[in-house]
Amino acid sequence: MAAVRTSGEIALNRVAIVAVLLITLIFLAPIYWITATAFKPRNLATTIPPTIVFTPEISPFVKLFTKRSQLREAPSPEEYEAAPWWERLIFDGGEKVVRSGRGEVQLSGYPDRFMNSLIVAITSTVLAVGMGTFTAYGFSRFKVKGEGDLLFFILSTRMLPPVVVAIPMFLMYRVVGLNDTHWGLIILYTAFNLSFSVWLMKGFMDEIPKEYEEAALVDGYTRMQAFFKVVLPEAATGIAATAVFCFITAWNEYAFALIMTNRRAQTAPPFIPSQVGSGLPDWTVIAAGTFLFLLPVAIFTFLLRNHLLRGMSFGAIRK
Amino acid sequence: MRKTVTGILAGIGFTLACGTSAFAQELTIFWAEWDPANYLQELVNEYEAETGVKVTVETTPWSDFQTKAFTEFNAKGSAYDMVVGDSQWIGAASEGGHYVDLTEFFNKHKLTEVMAPATVKYYAEYPSNSGKYWSVPAEGDAVGWSYRKDWFEDPKEMEAFKAKYGYDLGVPKDWKQLRDIAEFFHRPDEKRYGVAIYTDNSYDALVMGVENAIFSFGGELGDYANYKVDGIINSEQNVKALEAYKELYSFTPPGWAKSFFIEDNQAITENLAAMSMNYFAFFPALINEASNPNAKGTGFFANPPGPNGDQYAALGGQGISVVSYSENQEEAMKFLEWFIKDETQKKWAELGGYTASAKVLESPEFQNATPYNKAFYETMFKVKDFWATPEYAELLIAMNQRVYPFITGDQGTAKEVLDALAADWNATFKKYNRVK
Amino acid sequence: MATAVMTTLDPKSRAASRGLSDISIRNLFIIPTIVFLIVFNIFPLIYSLGYSFTDFRASTNAPAKFVGLANYRALLNDPFIWSNFAITAKYVIVSVTGQVLVGFGVAMLLNRAIPFKGLITTLLLLPMMLSMAVVGLFWKLLYDPSWGVINYVLGLGNFEWLSNPDMALYAIAITDIWMWSPFVMLLSLAGLSAVPKHLYEAAAIDRAGSLYTFFRITLPLVAPILMIAIIFRTMEAFKTFDLAYILSSQPTTEVISIRLYKMAFQEWQTGMSCALAYIVLIMVLAITNIYVKYLNKVKER
Repeated sequence: MAAVRTSGEIALNRVAIVAVLLITLIFLAPIYWITATAFKPRNLATTIPPTIVFTPEISPFVKLFTKRSQLREAPSPEEYEAAPWWERLIFDGGEKVVRSGRGEVQLSGYPDRFMNSLIVAITSTVLAVGMGTFTAYGFSRFKVKGEGDLLFFILSTRMLPPVVVAIPMFLMYRVVGLNDTHWGLIILYTAFNLSFSVWLMKGFMDEIPKEYEEAALVDGYTRMQAFFKVVLPEAATGIAATAVFCFITAWNEYAFALIMTNRRAQTAPPFIPSQVGSGLPDWTVIAAGTFLFLLPVAIFTFLLRNHLLRGMSFGAIRK
Repeated sequence: MRKTVTGILAGIGFTLACGTSAFAQELTIFWAEWDPANYLQELVNEYEAETGVKVTVETTPWSDFQTKAFTEFNAKGSAYDMVVGDSQWIGAASEGGHYVDLTEFFNKHKLTEVMAPATVKYYAEYPSNSGKYWSVPAEGDAVGWSYRKDWFEDPKEMEAFKAKYGYDLGVPKDWKQLRDIAEFFHRPDEKRYGVAIYTDNSYDALVMGVENAIFSFGGELGDYANYKVDGIINSEQNVKALEAYKELYSFTPPGWAKSFFIEDNQAITENLAAMSMNYFAFFPALINEASNPNAKGTGFFANPPGPNGDQYAALGGQGISVVSYSENQEEAMKFLEWFIKDETQKKWAELGGYTASAKVLESPEFQNATPYNKAFYETMFKVKDFWATPEYAELLIAMNQRVYPFITGDQGTAKEVLDALAADWNATFKKYNRVK
Repeated sequence: MATAVMTTLDPKSRAASRGLSDISIRNLFIIPTIVFLIVFNIFPLIYSLGYSFTDFRASTNAPAKFVGLANYRALLNDPFIWSNFAITAKYVIVSVTGQVLVGFGVAMLLNRAIPFKGLITTLLLLPMMLSMAVVGLFWKLLYDPSWGVINYVLGLGNFEWLSNPDMALYAIAITDIWMWSPFVMLLSLAGLSAVPKHLYEAAAIDRAGSLYTFFRITLPLVAPILMIAIIFRTMEAFKTFDLAYILSSQPTTEVISIRLYKMAFQEWQTGMSCALAYIVLIMVLAITNIYVKYLNKVKER
């Protein structure tokens, strides 16, 4: 913008700064609230007025990872004394740890679901980005008849509401036994992300000068060698950005996971809202699960900030 | 870095390769997320100690319990070996071939005599009086009420109540008193409200709430034998019952349009309401001082009778069935043999489960174990249930669609709503050739 | 479509004598993806088109019976379905309008010399990267009439956000606006930064008012990108499932995706739900077409 000149404009600028700060605070408040609740004692989670200052506790995370049941009698002092620190935290909350027949502490469903999320998101990202990179290179470097139509076709597969796709997929998976399997979800997410990855990677590929490969070809490389040795390294940033976008999409997906998985392959997004607790909700535990689940994406957002615009808009706009 | 990545990928590959293979010595039971499921987990841990077979109780919240179970059934999935399914599923699950026929097992162990009659009738047998059994009654349950004894026993309140209504404040003896007490305690200025009832329309919460009124007013949902609904679901008693339920809604705390067991329990713990409708199985949280600061001042009573003295409550509870797609059916049957043993049932009740075993229910140990067990025992002989036909899900959705806007949104009159519902149900029954 | 890939060889491409020829590399790179997408995206749709003409129910073993257009006729005559579409339309309008107003407004504010601009922009982007389902769950706590933070901060007492049938859809839209205004903001910022500075300087020399500058210079130049944002968000809002499903079960918030989900996976009216899915599909394709047209226009600029 042009340099600020008049005092009126200076004042205006100050107002803008204050407004921006205020808006930022409002936008971050829900995320702060999740984080804060994840470290609160249970009785402070739903107080009015809301509790802002409190001693952070680790107990929500202990509860998040263990299978617990309602205590009907207080534990005996000996039992309490003998318990390790984390079990005491659970006792303090009026619950006890559920143990297996052999006395092992039983875990809640959370670690399994988190692991499933990792498996499905990482595998589908690798597949989508891998295939997407090749295809984007093909579209970028070679003339393809009906390219516009094909690209539109590729894009349109992502426009469908998930439930529309889920109905026939459910029926087809039922025939081949892919319902509630990791592969079933991986295939869906790969198909979903592939169109995105092709579009995004094509943008990155178009930016790599053709002359680089031509020079390599002159040097005696085959086209394949040129692709792997010259193009791929040049496209590394683009690939990384695309990968993170695909990962975030797969990580956050809810509708397919809700419909297509049950116990074995269920990911965290349909699971976390289901953990409302058994007689009364424990918001601190829900917050703890949410917090852990959001953490990777929050970190990626920071790493990715320079690529965000292109990724969010299917590469339609260059930054 | 590269090593870590390879490591992670190898790990994922390994998990994918063996992730879906079932372990022979493992059984999985599917149930909803609530305390009884945790108690069941504790119970089956003993089975593991005895036999070495690991049994896991998997849970999902009530709001999507039915969807999850039937998605799995209809996918012919083998993720669950047994399911502790709702009573109204039994028609759909038996006709759809999802449940293993347990008639032989039932007869062999004379379960019709061992288990309380209502539980056999509603949890196990389908069609009615056919002598075919599909599940073993596992968790009996019905709707009851919790209330703030400390508020009820406050002398000032008692005096004011007597002055206003002309009789003593106490546990309501009928629906009229229930209404009066709700009105009496409904003081939005003090952030105190009269009553907490079920209103969630995502599964069967609202319908079960309304059923309590309908059955107590002497009404029925329809003739379960010949699928006749017109003149029954929209009968005069039912119109009155629905109006009564709607009136109770006006005494609920703010934001009470999507409430089920959690909200209703919170109404007690958070000092919101004087009385709260809930399933007995959700009461343990209310006598636990860690989760209910008002535990000492909380009391319980059974669903009161209606204007003509009919006293019924909506049935909850579930039977345990073997899933016909399970790869471990034999193991599952062995487990059931263990589950129905007297000592197992006794232990089940001790852990907090609501056994359906008549012998245990009648024992004084059981009835005195908690402040609400006696009310539970009494209620279990006065229960009625929703339709159990295979198309019950459609019936449920139709009822939610018709009744919910009336209760929470003032749309239409009770008569119009029930007439429309009768027409919906009739159309559904026609579609499935139940009626001509 | 896939066959089109294999037909002609680009005469100008280097006919490589070493290794694979360009054309086989091209086919090797493109065809697997196309085949994959056909198998997992197009084939299922054809499969469900077939079922949409039957009374098939995936919950029974009864064979599917051909019923012609009966499903479509029943759906288009069902007042509940029409109200689902009306709710969806209302939701799209409210939430997209909100996002454009907030997003563009914030972009205007940010488009000046502001300390820590980069950091602030990044922080503002956080909501849209998070899981709708999981964050949406938490908004339930924020909206709670008795102990929710929102009512406390705004001093609204016991205001019912989610259980008031008339308010619930707006409450969901507000959450959606919170999540997705940053997206509109990001695109608007890109558009604003592309406006040539000399235009503003010329306007300043002409002593043009700020309103005039905004409507005559800023808005027309940002409009194409803003249009992309709007179409993009419209499509997404039309698809909405997670947020509405998790936050509320009011009949007044039953958007079409939820109705479809219930019909398919709760009532198990598989044939009927396939038909409804097709009605939705046609609508989405129409919106997508408009979208692609605009996309190409902007790319040509």
